[in-house]
Amino acid sequence: MEAFGAEFAQAVGASGHTVEHGTLKVRVSNQQWVAAATVGRDDFDLVYLSYVSAIDWANDVAVGDAPEEPVEERFELLAAIGDVTEGRLVHLSTDLPKDGASIATLTDVYPGANWHEREAAEMFNIAFEGHPNLTKIYLPDGFEGFPLQKSFGLLAREVKPWPGDVDVEGLPGDHE
Amino acid sequence: MTDQDFMHHLGDVSVSIELETEDMTLNIGPQHPSTHGVLRLVAKVDGEIITDVEPVLGYMHRGYEKISEVRTYPQVTALVNRIDWVSGYANEIPFIVAAEKLMGVEAPERAQYIRVILTEMARLASHLAFMGSFPLELGATTPLMYAFRDRERILDLIESVTGGRFHPNFNRIGGVKSNAGAGKTQKKASQDLPAGFFTETLAAMDVVDASCDEMETLVGGNEIFLIRSKGVGVLPADIAVSYGVSGPILRASGVEFDLRKTEDYLPYDQFDFDIPTGENGDSYDRWYVRLQEIRQSARIIRQAIEGIPSGPLRAKVPLIIKVPKGEAYVRAENPKGEMGYYLVSEGGQGPYRLKIRSSSFSNLSILPWILEGVLLPDLLAVMGSLDFVLGDVDR
Repeated sequence: MEAFGAEFAQAVGASGHTVEHGTLKVRVSNQQWVAAATVGRDDFDLVYLSYVSAIDWANDVAVGDAPEEPVEERFELLAAIGDVTEGRLVHLSTDLPKDGASIATLTDVYPGANWHEREAAEMFNIAFEGHPNLTKIYLPDGFEGFPLQKSFGLLAREVKPWPGDVDVEGLPGDHE
Repeated sequence: MTDQDFMHHLGDVSVSIELETEDMTLNIGPQHPSTHGVLRLVAKVDGEIITDVEPVLGYMHRGYEKISEVRTYPQVTALVNRIDWVSGYANEIPFIVAAEKLMGVEAPERAQYIRVILTEMARLASHLAFMGSFPLELGATTPLMYAFRDRERILDLIESVTGGRFHPNFNRIGGVKSNAGAGKTQKKASQDLPAGFFTETLAAMDVVDASCDEMETLVGGNEIFLIRSKGVGVLPADIAVSYGVSGPILRASGVEFDLRKTEDYLPYDQFDFDIPTGENGDSYDRWYVRLQEIRQSARIIRQAIEGIPSGPLRAKVPLIIKVPKGEAYVRAENPKGEMGYYLVSEGGQGPYRLKIRSSSFSNLSILPWILEGVLLPDLLAVMGSLDFVLGDVDR
C-alpha cells in the first residue's frame, strides 16, 4: 500500500501521502482536486467512488471534546475512491478555509458524488462549483445553520442536559 | 379473433404517433409499502413511462454523525445498530474494528469467529427479508411467509446469543460481550455461547439451504416473476461503480468484488466461499445473486462452527475506553454493500468525527439513472430489487 500510495501521489503531484492504520490518504491542493480524481479513475483504475465528506477541524467546539492539541482551523474535504479488483482505496484530502469554502465538483468524474456533495454542502457550508443541483438533501428547506460544524450546538442538550450528566433520582428510602 | 386475423387487421390501422401528451408529475410516498421506510419519489411520467425521478430523502435522518460526537464509544455501538435495522449486528463490526485499530488491540480469535458467525447470520436475516419482500412487491404473497418463517429461526439464534433480535449491541472494543448472566463463577469458555447453540445453528443452516432450493423453484420457476424481473432495470457495471453502488447489486452487474476477500476486518481468509455474480445486471440477477449468497453464508457459518477455537472472549482493555489520537477508515461487506466508518479520534472518550458511509445511500443514488425510461409498474420491481433500508440511507 505504501508503494502504491507513493506512486499515486507522484502521478497526481500530491503534496504528500500517509498510510495510517491501513488508510491511505493523499494530500492535494484545491486546484488539483478534480484532476487528481480523474487521474485516479483513468490511470489507476480507481473507478469506484466510495464517498465524499468533510471534517471540521476546530479548537472551539460547541459539543463533544475539543482536540487535545491545537489544530489548524479548516475544513478537511475527503473523497474516497477505489478499484473493484484489488480492494485498493485512496482518500483524497484537501483543506478548505472556513469562510467561503468552495471547490470544484467531482460529479463530472463520478456521477455518484452528486448526493455526497449535497450532504457535505448542507452539513458544513461548502460550495461545490458546477454541481448540477446543490440543494438540501436531508434538511428541510430554510433550515438555518450547518449541523456538522463543530460550532453548531445540539439544541436538545441545551434545553435539557443529557441525563447521564446529572444524578438520577434517589432510591426509595434514600431520602433524608 | 385468431392471432393471424389480428395481425392482418393491425395492418389496416394507422395510429398517429404525433399525439402529444402532457407529462404528469406523480408523487410516490413518503408512506408507501414499496419504499421500505419513508422515502418520497417525485416522478415525471409520460403516459406509463417514467422520464425523470427525484428521490426526496431526509424523513429518517436522525443525525447519527452529530450524535456520535457527544457519545462515548460503547454508546455509539448501540447507535450504529440502528442504521440498517434489518442486519443490525453487521453495522457494529466496522466501527468496532476501527476503534480497535486506533487502540492497537485485537479481539481474541474465538471472539472473531463469533463475530463471523453473527455477521453471516445478519446477512441471512437481511437476504431472507429480501427473498420475502421482493416477490411481494411483484404481487406474490406466499414467498413472504416462507422467507420470514426461516428468518425467524435466524433471529431466534441471534437473540439466544446476544439478547436482541434486531439491535444486538453485542460487540465490545476488544471482543464480544460474555454471555448475559455468566458471572464471575462462570468464566469457563464453554459458558460463553448458550448451550446447544451450535447444534441448533447447524440445523437452521440445513433449513436455510432447503429454503433456498424451495425459493429457486417456487419463485425462480414462476413465469410471472421471470417476465417481471428479467431485463427490467438493467444496470451496467461501469455505471454502477461510478455511482458507488456496492454489494450484491454490483455483483449482479458482473463485478466479482467482495470486501470479505480484500479487507482484513474479520478472518474471512480462513473460510472457503465463492462470490456469486450475475451476467445481465437486471432485477432477476439481483435476486439470484442474493439467493446464492444465502447459500455461501450458510457455508461460512458451518465452517466457522467447525473451526471455532476456545479461549477468551475479550482482550484486556481499560474499563473506561479512551481511543488514542488518530484516524482510520474501516469498511466491511455488509448485506447491502460497503459499510464504512471514517473514525477521527482526538484522544477523548468519544469520536471527534465519525463519517458513516452506508451502503444504501450510494445504492439508492442510482435511482434517477436506473428508473429513466422504465415503465411505471416496473418501478416496484426495480426498487424492490435494489433492497435498501431507509435507516441506512438517511442515517
